[in-house]
Amino acid sequence: MIELKNIIKRYEINKNNTVTALNGINLTVKEGELVVLKGASGSGKSTILSLIAALSKPTSGEVIVDDKRVSKLPDNFASDFRRDNVGFIFQKYNLINSLSVKENIILPLVPMNLHVNIVEAKLKRVLKMFHIENKENILVKNLSGGEQQRVAIARANINEPKIILADEPTANLDEKLSMKFIDILKELRQQGKTVIVATHDPLFFNLDIVDKVVEIHQGLIS
Amino acid sequence: MNIYLVEYAINSLLRQKYKTIFVTVILTTLVFLLTSVFFITNSIKYELQSTVDALPEIVVQKIKAGRHYDLDSERVDDILEITGVNSAVARVWGYYYFANVGVNFTVVGIDEYEEQYKNSLNLIAKSLDFSTNSMFVGEGVKKSMSESYYKEYFNFIKPNGTLKKMNISGVFEGDTQLESNDMIVMSKENARDIFDMSQSRATDIVVKVANVDEIHTVASKIRLIFPDSRVITKDDLKISYQNIFDYKSGIFLALFVVSLFTFFIIIYDKASGLSSEEKREIGILKAIGWRVDDVLKEKFYEGFIISFFAYLLGVFLSLGFVYILKAPLIQKIFTGYSELKTSFDLPFVFDIQTLALVFFLSVPIYIAATIIPSWRSATLEADEVMR
Ligand SMILES: Nc1ncnc2c1ncn2[C@@H]1O[C@H](COP(=O)(O)OP(=O)(O)OP(=O)(O)O)[C@@H](O)[C@H]1O
Ligand SMILES: [Mg+2]
Repeated sequence: MIELKNIIKRYEINKNNTVTALNGINLTVKEGELVVLKGASGSGKSTILSLIAALSKPTSGEVIVDDKRVSKLPDNFASDFRRDNVGFIFQKYNLINSLSVKENIILPLVPMNLHVNIVEAKLKRVLKMFHIENKENILVKNLSGGEQQRVAIARANINEPKIILADEPTANLDEKLSMKFIDILKELRQQGKTVIVATHDPLFFNLDIVDKVVEIHQGLIS
Repeated sequence: MNIYLVEYAINSLLRQKYKTIFVTVILTTLVFLLTSVFFITNSIKYELQSTVDALPEIVVQKIKAGRHYDLDSERVDDILEITGVNSAVARVWGYYYFANVGVNFTVVGIDEYEEQYKNSLNLIAKSLDFSTNSMFVGEGVKKSMSESYYKEYFNFIKPNGTLKKMNISGVFEGDTQLESNDMIVMSKENARDIFDMSQSRATDIVVKVANVDEIHTVASKIRLIFPDSRVITKDDLKISYQNIFDYKSGIFLALFVVSLFTFFIIIYDKASGLSSEEKREIGILKAIGWRVDDVLKEKFYEGFIISFFAYLLGVFLSLGFVYILKAPLIQKIFTGYSELKTSFDLPFVFDIQTLALVFFLSVPIYIAATIIPSWRSATLEADEVMR
């Protein structure tokens, strides 16, 4: 279960200027739910995702994931938390272009120093799951947008996280590829993962697999 | 060790091809210059030490009107009377200006049955033919003479304008390379002839003392007996040799500090200015669960691989440059002891200290210069990657 309690997040632009990105958010996402965060640009969707992933810390309030107060985690524990629990799918995929598909996908495993066989097994699993088996050794920059996204999704799933966070996942995809992405979401939900999608793509607002659509407006849930 | 991390580091270096090449070239040059200078100074220091060791303990000169003047060789007998004196030998030597090449040779006269004040001269005394006009020359002399087509003999011009033909009967190596290079050895008789010196005269007297502690006592006794003499001890000579050397290495040091400084600025600039691409990469790594120390470990491998490679390359290049190519250009600065412009061999002096010093001036400093900015970037909030 993911809980956000009275979250306020301010960014200091300079001494006299702060931007309030979130202004008192309360949100609960149960295990296995698929939740869509919708809202205009600048409303605070991405900020919520980064707080859940412990990529940043709230100015006040608490983020609790499975009874763990992730908003209070020291940096190294936050890294461990992400590695073990969170798979992130970014809008710009955030792949390393000059590395191969395989190298990108196993990137989260690199610091863990696992046995080659384990790494290979984990890799095989996600390559198959997201239909990129034959692309293993191709450089990411030579892939199409849809393929790049599947690589990003494979990377997010390599460590079998319980939580998947997706930020504007369809922003760079055409309708056909967007539908395919929704199929993938379906599958992830079937596996029992908790999924949070931040988007303003209307495609997500009336899906039967979505448990809850939360609208964010100027840092508040409306 | 984490092979995946090392592999990632190597990949990362290969990916940033131009930066990697640039840094390698700069670091290799730095290491090369540093080691070359140290190798050369060490070699010359070693030469110098051998030169000083071979110096006579006391040299007695006669001073007239404030200048070095011939002395009567009979003074040797009086000096031998002094207690503590082991031996005293009257030397005949001087400089001969060879106008064709514009250099001074040192002409040294020796006697067949006299004990020589230097080991190298003892060897020559055995093989030199004292009954004819023959001489032994140093490598540098041989070279200068050949350049002027004197391959078998050389015509000395005596003070009265007449020629004296001397056959080159051999080339020798001295105790040390530095001083024997410009030397010519012949019989005292021939040397006196070339310098127009009478039979009873000598250039100076070399004195050996049994006990090192007595050098100064003996020196002052000689001064008492011959008030017109300048008595030079080994210590005095050592200081003047050392001065020349220190002066030369001072020039080097200055050059050196300047270049070191420049290099560090370049390296610092290259290493510390993380590109937005590199910052993004660190952000991605953190977002997918890397710890700060995983990022730093990876950066450490990167820095170590590149700087250690550059270090090894620089050291090997410098070994080749100094000991195989004989350090062209740089060596010239140091070899001004004689006027001879010919080269001498640098003795191979290999010391771990130099290598360690250069290592610490290059590898850890470079690694620090790469790790510190990455550390700064990795400890910031990683939500930059979201945008
Ligand atoms: N690091 C930051 N420094 C300063 N301001 C920030 C920072 N991150 C976010 N903001 C501001 O916080 C507000 C919310 O940003 P956020 O990225 O969460 O919006 P969003 O809903 O994801 O928008 P979009 O749909 O454009 O991605 C915006 O006004 C943004 O400018
Ligand atoms: Mg956003």
